[in-house]
Amino acid sequence: MTEIQKLAESVDSLKNNFEEHRYICSNQIATSVYLAYHLRKPVLIEGPPGVGKTELAKTTADMFQLPLIRLQCYEGLDEAKAIYEWKYGKQLLYTQVLKETLDEVLQGAQGFAESVNRLHEFGDIFFSQEFMEPRPLLKALQEEDGCVLLIDEVDKSDHEFESLLLEILSDFQVSIPEIGTVKARREPPMVFLTSNNTREISDALKRRCLHLYIPFPDMELEQRIIHARVPEIPEQLRKQLVAFIQELRDMDLKKVPAISETIDWARTLLLLHTESLDPDLVRETLNVILKFQEDIDNINTDIPSITNKAVNA
Amino acid sequence: MDRTLTSFISALRTAEVRISPAETLDALSAVELTGYHDREFLKNTLSLVLPKTLDEKETFDNTFEEFFKFHDISGARLTDSEEGEPEEESENSAEGSGTGQGLRSGSPPRGTSASGEAGEDSEEDFAENLGHGPLAEPSSRLGALLMQNDRVELNVQVAAAAKEVKLQEIQVFTQKGLYTRRILEEMGLAELQREINSAKTSEDLPVRRLGRELKHRQDWLREQVRDYVEKQFLLYADAHGFKLREELLRKVKLSNIEHRNFRLVQEIVYRMAKKLVSLHSRRKKVYKRGVLNVSRTLRKNMSYDGHIFDLHWKSVKVDRPCVFAICDVSGSVANYARFMLMFLYSLEEVMPKVRSFAFSSDLGEVTELFERNSLEDAIAKTLRDFGGGSTDYGQALLDFRKKCMSDIDNRTTVIILGDARNNYGDAQQNVLKELYDMSKRVIWLNPESRSTWNTGDAIMRKYTPYVHQAEECNSLIHLERVVGNLLRTVQ
Repeated sequence: MTEIQKLAESVDSLKNNFEEHRYICSNQIATSVYLAYHLRKPVLIEGPPGVGKTELAKTTADMFQLPLIRLQCYEGLDEAKAIYEWKYGKQLLYTQVLKETLDEVLQGAQGFAESVNRLHEFGDIFFSQEFMEPRPLLKALQEEDGCVLLIDEVDKSDHEFESLLLEILSDFQVSIPEIGTVKARREPPMVFLTSNNTREISDALKRRCLHLYIPFPDMELEQRIIHARVPEIPEQLRKQLVAFIQELRDMDLKKVPAISETIDWARTLLLLHTESLDPDLVRETLNVILKFQEDIDNINTDIPSITNKAVNA
Repeated sequence: MDRTLTSFISALRTAEVRISPAETLDALSAVELTGYHDREFLKNTLSLVLPKTLDEKETFDNTFEEFFKFHDISGARLTDSEEGEPEEESENSAEGSGTGQGLRSGSPPRGTSASGEAGEDSEEDFAENLGHGPLAEPSSRLGALLMQNDRVELNVQVAAAAKEVKLQEIQVFTQKGLYTRRILEEMGLAELQREINSAKTSEDLPVRRLGRELKHRQDWLREQVRDYVEKQFLLYADAHGFKLREELLRKVKLSNIEHRNFRLVQEIVYRMAKKLVSLHSRRKKVYKRGVLNVSRTLRKNMSYDGHIFDLHWKSVKVDRPCVFAICDVSGSVANYARFMLMFLYSLEEVMPKVRSFAFSSDLGEVTELFERNSLEDAIAKTLRDFGGGSTDYGQALLDFRKKCMSDIDNRTTVIILGDARNNYGDAQQNVLKELYDMSKRVIWLNPESRSTWNTGDAIMRKYTPYVHQAEECNSLIHLERVVGNLLRTVQ
């Protein structure tokens, strides 16, 4: 039994190991990794920004001790940047260098047709693996012992790119016209896709993936996350700040604070040697958790009452 | 075990979660891996494989709770259920909620025809309730079964009978009574009734007592079966009725849609819009094809010693055009306006910028209302602020000219929704002509049928020369077609 198999033996063992890597996850999340490993299926992770979608892939790579290959999606991303590209410069350089040897190759060839035939004998040297620059997707397939492939923010890419992904997601292979089909090596990569839901992902893509939705954590889970990430923070303050954030999430804000913001805030408060929340302190550090001036103005008057509630919670 | 899953999936489909056969296969292999032993694990697993949006996940949670409810009643059934009949399980779930009297614990009998089992002991249970001495032995099959008081066995029988009469084919709710009777008949109701009737007239006291008791239990059974049918109907057939209703709503005149159906209509609109979105969201890319950008290609390939390797094309970036929607929201047309605005704003994703205006006598822009409020609120506010006046198309057109004629250019599409009933006022068709000349398209949607376009105070005649397209539009289907065409031309 390999190391990875041992880790992925059960959902509980995965969960514990995630915790060891300071990633506190719900059963649902651990189950998704368990299924992804055993069924060899990609996981499409959706959820509001900052709940640890990307982090899940990173931690998984860390835990399984696999290389993480990341493909950040953006509008206009195409196969040349995602799968492979020819090394034009190298091709050119080689043709220049080999110009001289061309005479030898063609020596004695009579006429045009024969010359071309001679050249054909050399095959498509210039369009072979040596001249190919693998991009993240192809690189992931070529990893001998498997890897974690993170396709980040797939909703930012174009529709065409989604279709491009289908082949690699369902069969772990890509077709390159000049070379043929490249299949995954011994271990196929574990694939995570993340999406912020800025647009609907196509059904075809969804159908090939396990679908994991990570919501904002509840009070208890968030406390554990803070505890794991910022262990130095005193327990009382941790409770207060989590209660405060939970309260904020229920309000009408342009952007509600996510876990990453809670962590940042905890670090900030730690840096300021805070013992307990008070309205003035909250007001001064509010820009760590709220990213819009409008939001800050909006809750300004409510700060004392929310703080009070959080302190007494 | 697979049948449990497939019937769960069909229940999910009924609840409008879209599941493809491929996903069913995924679910099967996932469950093979995880097994049915841990309920939460099973739920987590299936919720990763089957539902693929947040909405669907919610529906999934509810359906899962409903469907696998029986797990709560007795843990012993967890493992048994792997080979069990799906109907039987969901029946038990129905029972679980209404456990009133003597549900026997212990493992349920397997097989579906074990009706011959003895059940003498149950007689004593009820004899004391009656307090009138012993009961006679029931002679009919169903009677014996009822007197056994074995709920699990009864459930099995009900499920078997239900399968016999093809309950899963139930389609509309009016059939519920029919199927209830058929199931009872299948279980031997006729025989039981004969026994009860003959018991009534019997001389023998125990026999008469038995008759009364049987009658009692027969009513109870009827109730149970009705419950069961109801449950099955909700699980398997409700969608059919739902679709029928939906189909109807698509065709019915928008002004006739009742208020209680608004929510449903909104959902339909949303779904229709989504279809259009996916049809039109594939933006056409011009670069990679088209005209070679010679100067750029040469410049870029300078580093390759002038050999042309890297080709560059002239790419054309198309400015996104704009749609202006002008809606008559006076009493006669308000409802149509509601649905058109609903449609336009559901298309946000693919629709170029929409600016909307409402008028009855005076015209005002309502775009901001829609940006700031939810669709429903925005529509309600629009109708409140602008509805109610007497219609004046001339004034509305003048207002429109004053407000935003300068924003109209040859990429703009203008949609006017109204019945052109102008209360004999000035038509101001010259303003419309101006619009017609300046914009890319002017489309007039009239909710009335074509034959009445020029009757009474309606003056479509004056406006039609200055629109590119005048359409009758009074149902969701019309709307879908119009908006679909619109997308084709504006993109």
